[in-house]
Amino acid sequence: MQALYLSATPTSPEVDFRFDQHILSIKGESYPENAAAFYTPLIAQVQTYLAACDSQQISVNVSLAYFNSSSTKMLFAFFDALNQAALAGNEVQLNWYHDEDDDTILEFGEELRDDFTALDFRAHAVSGQ
Amino acid sequence: MQADLFAQECVALAQARAACDNPQADTRAALAALIGQYERLMRESRRLIRRSDRAEFDMNLMNRQLSELAQQLEYRATHDTLTGALNRGAIIDCATQALEQGDLALIVLDIDHFKWINDDFGHPAGDAVIQTVVSCLQQLLGPEVHIGRVGGEEFSVVWPTSDLGEAQAVGLRICDAIADQVFAAPINRQITASVGISWAPRGSGFETIYSHADEALYAAKRAGRNCVRCHMDNEANPLLVAAA
Repeated sequence: MQALYLSATPTSPEVDFRFDQHILSIKGESYPENAAAFYTPLIAQVQTYLAACDSQQISVNVSLAYFNSSSTKMLFAFFDALNQAALAGNEVQLNWYHDEDDDTILEFGEELRDDFTALDFRAHAVSGQ
Repeated sequence: MQADLFAQECVALAQARAACDNPQADTRAALAALIGQYERLMRESRRLIRRSDRAEFDMNLMNRQLSELAQQLEYRATHDTLTGALNRGAIIDCATQALEQGDLALIVLDIDHFKWINDDFGHPAGDAVIQTVVSCLQQLLGPEVHIGRVGGEEFSVVWPTSDLGEAQAVGLRICDAIADQVFAAPINRQITASVGISWAPRGSGFETIYSHADEALYAAKRAGRNCVRCHMDNEANPLLVAAA
């Protein structure tokens, strides 16, 4: 499956989905004008990719310094799709990167771990910029 | 999928409606599906609200810190660090604004023989003299009057008035108050100031009123110090002599 790459903009994160390597990364800040329009096609591609995965090891790297509420709503759908794939027998590791001083983002990651229990959640503190 | 934040919920709702309208539908199954969606939505909303509350709290905290910092910066940008009086820029702004609003007297004073104070007692003692002069002016004139430190040992008082005689009386009170002020050890002698006053009508420029006050101040110095001189626009009698 063809990789998907979107470079970062001031309001949207860098998206680097290397489906053939089973590495999906999102990095940056997310407050696009229309979060649904930004994330819906990404999630659709991820769902297509996941549907073809079987007992696959998948690494998901999320390093978001800021994301607004509508992005959060869309990220729930993204994690839900990953969680479904994990329940279906894939090994999905979610690497959650947060600034060491940013407790809000760490706590949000920990809530994801509680809600999407099939994911192998790993928090990574990154030293301040 | 349609690009809608609530696309998933719209689908669930449409399915529930369809089941509700169809007498043959498996309504228990439809209700179970709807419950699942409802629970997910509640869980997500709870997370979202918690996150927003935290972010909002942090933002309010930072906003408060920012406005406190802005206030501190504004104070530092407009006040002299040694004395807490207005600094040169702020007193110029203040006088300029006062001239836009009405007639103004500008009273400038300079501590007499300040270099000797520094030489004889040291710079810390000199700094203490400057601080004492400012607090003496503040006590004499009250908190509403704008007092500025325009140079090392030179101060200005912005005095809105249409009456030069009134400003002259204020200048005399300042001159007397400083001469009567007892300064802390090691200062063991009387300290005095020379005072120059100028007056300008509404709409005048700061440069003019300041240079006239400065001329009057130097006239006071030439007249033997510890006295007040007023600048007069009358060319025949450029400086009105007033005994301290």
